[in-house]
Amino acid sequence: MKRATPWLFLAPYLLLFSAFVAAPVLYGLWMSLHNWDQFLPEKPFIGLENYANLFTPGSAKAGPFWDAMLATGIFTLFSVPLLVVLPLGVALLLNRRFKGRAVFRAIYFAPYVLGVVVVSMVFRFVLDPNIGALNHLLGTTTPWTTALPWAWVSLIGMTVWWTLGFNAVIYLAGLQDIDRSLYDAAAVDGAGRWQQFWNVTLPSLRPVTVFVVTVTILASANLFGQSYLMTQGAPEERTRSAIMFIAEEGFQDFNLGSAAAMSYVLAMFLMALSAGVFFFFRKRGAA
Amino acid sequence: MRETRREFLAAAAGAALVLAGCGGSSRSDGAQVTLDFWNGFTGGDGPQMLALVQAVEKEHPEIRVRMVTARWEDFYTKLPAAVASGEGPDVALMHVDQIPTNAAHRTIMPLDDLVRDLDLQEDDFAAPVWRAGAVDGRRYGVPLDMHPIGLYANQQVLSEAGLDPESLPTTRDEYESALEELKGKGVQGHWVTPFFFTGGHQFMSLLWQFGGDLTDPEATRATWNSDAGVEALEWMRSLIAKGYSPRNVGQDADSIAFKNGQNAFIWNGAWAIGDYGSTEGLEWTLAPLPKIGSVAAAWSNSHNFTVMRQPTPDPQRLEAVKVLIDGVTRSPAWAEAGQIPARRSARESEAFRKLEAQSALARQVPDLRFAAAAPGLSDVRESTLDIAVAQAINGSRPVREALDDSARRANELLALNREKYGT
Amino acid sequence: MKRAWVWVALIALSVIYLAPILWMLVTAFKTEEESAASPPTLLPSQWSTEALDTIFSSSAQTPVPRWFVNSLVAALGTGLVVVLTAAPAAYALARMEFPGKRLVFGLIVATLFVPPIIFLAPNYEIVEALGWLDSLPAVIFPVSAGAFGVFFLRQFFVGLPKELEEAALLDGANRLQVFLRIVVPLSRPALATLFLLSVLTNWNDFLWPLYVLFNPENLTLGPGLGLLQGANQTNYALLMAGGLVASVPVLILFAVAQRYIIEGVSRSGLKG
Repeated sequence: MKRATPWLFLAPYLLLFSAFVAAPVLYGLWMSLHNWDQFLPEKPFIGLENYANLFTPGSAKAGPFWDAMLATGIFTLFSVPLLVVLPLGVALLLNRRFKGRAVFRAIYFAPYVLGVVVVSMVFRFVLDPNIGALNHLLGTTTPWTTALPWAWVSLIGMTVWWTLGFNAVIYLAGLQDIDRSLYDAAAVDGAGRWQQFWNVTLPSLRPVTVFVVTVTILASANLFGQSYLMTQGAPEERTRSAIMFIAEEGFQDFNLGSAAAMSYVLAMFLMALSAGVFFFFRKRGAA
Repeated sequence: MRETRREFLAAAAGAALVLAGCGGSSRSDGAQVTLDFWNGFTGGDGPQMLALVQAVEKEHPEIRVRMVTARWEDFYTKLPAAVASGEGPDVALMHVDQIPTNAAHRTIMPLDDLVRDLDLQEDDFAAPVWRAGAVDGRRYGVPLDMHPIGLYANQQVLSEAGLDPESLPTTRDEYESALEELKGKGVQGHWVTPFFFTGGHQFMSLLWQFGGDLTDPEATRATWNSDAGVEALEWMRSLIAKGYSPRNVGQDADSIAFKNGQNAFIWNGAWAIGDYGSTEGLEWTLAPLPKIGSVAAAWSNSHNFTVMRQPTPDPQRLEAVKVLIDGVTRSPAWAEAGQIPARRSARESEAFRKLEAQSALARQVPDLRFAAAAPGLSDVRESTLDIAVAQAINGSRPVREALDDSARRANELLALNREKYGT
Repeated sequence: MKRAWVWVALIALSVIYLAPILWMLVTAFKTEEESAASPPTLLPSQWSTEALDTIFSSSAQTPVPRWFVNSLVAALGTGLVVVLTAAPAAYALARMEFPGKRLVFGLIVATLFVPPIIFLAPNYEIVEALGWLDSLPAVIFPVSAGAFGVFFLRQFFVGLPKELEEAALLDGANRLQVFLRIVVPLSRPALATLFLLSVLTNWNDFLWPLYVLFNPENLTLGPGLGLLQGANQTNYALLMAGGLVASVPVLILFAVAQRYIIEGVSRSGLKG
């Protein structure tokens, strides 16, 4: 094998990787140390000031930034358990042989291919407090998109509606991979359906569950389109997510350096969270 | 109040272009120029602007215009990026308070030469608007219009409640008693929203009415947390407390309710004239805002023509831009979209006077207030005052506390902006 | 008994899933006034194509079909770029020995854990420096550089039996021939999975195209449909018509290819 061969195989990807993954990680750090307005010729070096602003309690940047972090936190905290448990239930419903199974599976998965913009527009309309169909149907005047906690109920409910099918399909594949003989053995031991679920199904699904939990946490923490389009941060920017705030800071207020600093702070949180999930499941796996 | 819109538009645009033909230099050497023209008219005003542009095209066959609209908030994030990357338009309309930011970013270019060529003077315009289009002594904007908010009334709802649909309330007492009357008939007359459209505009108008101001004249310090600001917000809250408005009104829901006859009054911008005018079965009228505070005042903004910096300026395109700006600002036809023309000749034209609603708004011209401008100021307002107004209206925070806190944060951000923009 | 309970659950859930989509459908055929009527009407009192006409007629302003094509090109382009670059790289990392291999693989895997928000600000400046703002390469190449594809395919290649490849090498085939004639055909399901996942991810992307595309003819569906939401006026009939025009083709595409798409997604959980 020629010495160059592996590098020639790697070259196209490494080119992309260096330009859009490796370089930006370092370049973003560099930007975060500047008062970086992308449309001003001067981008003065200001050291850690962008970070210091975020950790000075009561400062103009820290307040809204941590409010936005809290918003993302609330959303993640409530949406992840629902998106881990409900899709498993749906997968169990679908995990049997009957006519039309593929149709139901397709119906539950369909919203995912519509994309966040269409889904948000439809829900903004359905949930409109004054002319929306839901309030009319229920005979209520619930402020679904304009007051708390309703705006959270709406954002979480809509996200569950949108992505439930995605997770359910992954669970379903996991269920179908479970060795039938494990159930037979459990049945011989006199285990009922519930015990079979608890002692066979759940443990066998562990790797799939780890995947679903991790992917869902990261997706939830990336909350942007739903609140950008449906609640537009209402009420009072309290559903404005961390990503939405970072994008505003960078592209609306033209502080790309400060936005980069905020990205790093958010990223630290997310990486700590992923590590936590990883060790949690590894410990449970070893026990 | 449904004029024959099309006919009027055609006549007015035609008249303007005869004038434009005299003033503007239309050298037609056969070479076609296609201009990109951006604005934020995503509502009913979009087709109106397009008609004006097409009128200019008809008069000047060598000029073609591609008009592009985006929501204003998206427009202001896209425009500097597009210009910086060489994908920007030739000419754009923007709000006068955005001019300092865009001038600082070198997105737009000074128009002193263009204004001299067209012989435009302060005298030809409403003075406060004309002055707002300059930064550090250089002119960046040519004002097209003024768009204040005014008092819209649903005449059918008023009649059914036993109120005179022809004489609208002009004072605080009259306004409140009308609302009380409506409440007695089961109508929540004035819906208060926590959003900038329309809650934010109402607050600023009331702030000025109670004798306050948004900032000091140099726009270095926020002053909206004055007693006047507190009074203004307290009054808005009182409409909810007294049951004249529901709680938690959604974005644009007040305007939809107005069209559906669910409320009677809405303090909305001039831009709504087109929308309400084309709503079938809606009988409405428009008047200056009632005087709730101690002085008459109404918030207003203005669309200004601005010209984008290009990597290599093209004299032929600039010439075409000049023709477009002159033609559109001269025409009273833009008033059809609900706007008050900034150019005096258009405002004093016979065609404009025929427009009842617009003329009613124009009676407010001496009382109109424009926010002081500085680079980044409108973004600061958005991330501070707008939130405070929403908090107070939703009742999630006491009025004074919300205003004080937002003013403190605004002052900090204004200081950061001064450092950044070197102003 | 039990079966009945399952059917009730499945059908109830289907109603929850279909109702909003059907509501979009009927609203798209109402007039602007009727779409905002309170109380709402179930079916349009008269079926109107007013909103759909606007979508298709004012083509310079809101060219929904054009956005659809752009989105499709961006999504398929991303799928292709990912597969074409990740597959050879993953093969080198799975089968070849060379100095620096551990370092390269370690670096690539490490970036799997970097949250994507990190890339927003710097990649904007990089794309701008490349002159790609407001063009489709901006929404194809940066998103194609993610480490997932290489990681996913390497795991798959490692699991393939080596014998065939070794025999071919002994017969004098070079690495490229082995890769193209043996590995790629054996890996079709994995390559298809990666392709579909990349297409779906790009199709659902909203944040990045929102800030790097400007002119209407260059937009993808995400930021494009956002244009239909006016700032001071909301025409729900128009919004729903835009959503409908954007959705019908994908839903048809999905109905045709749903088996492959769903199998692709489900595979990601097992191998990832």
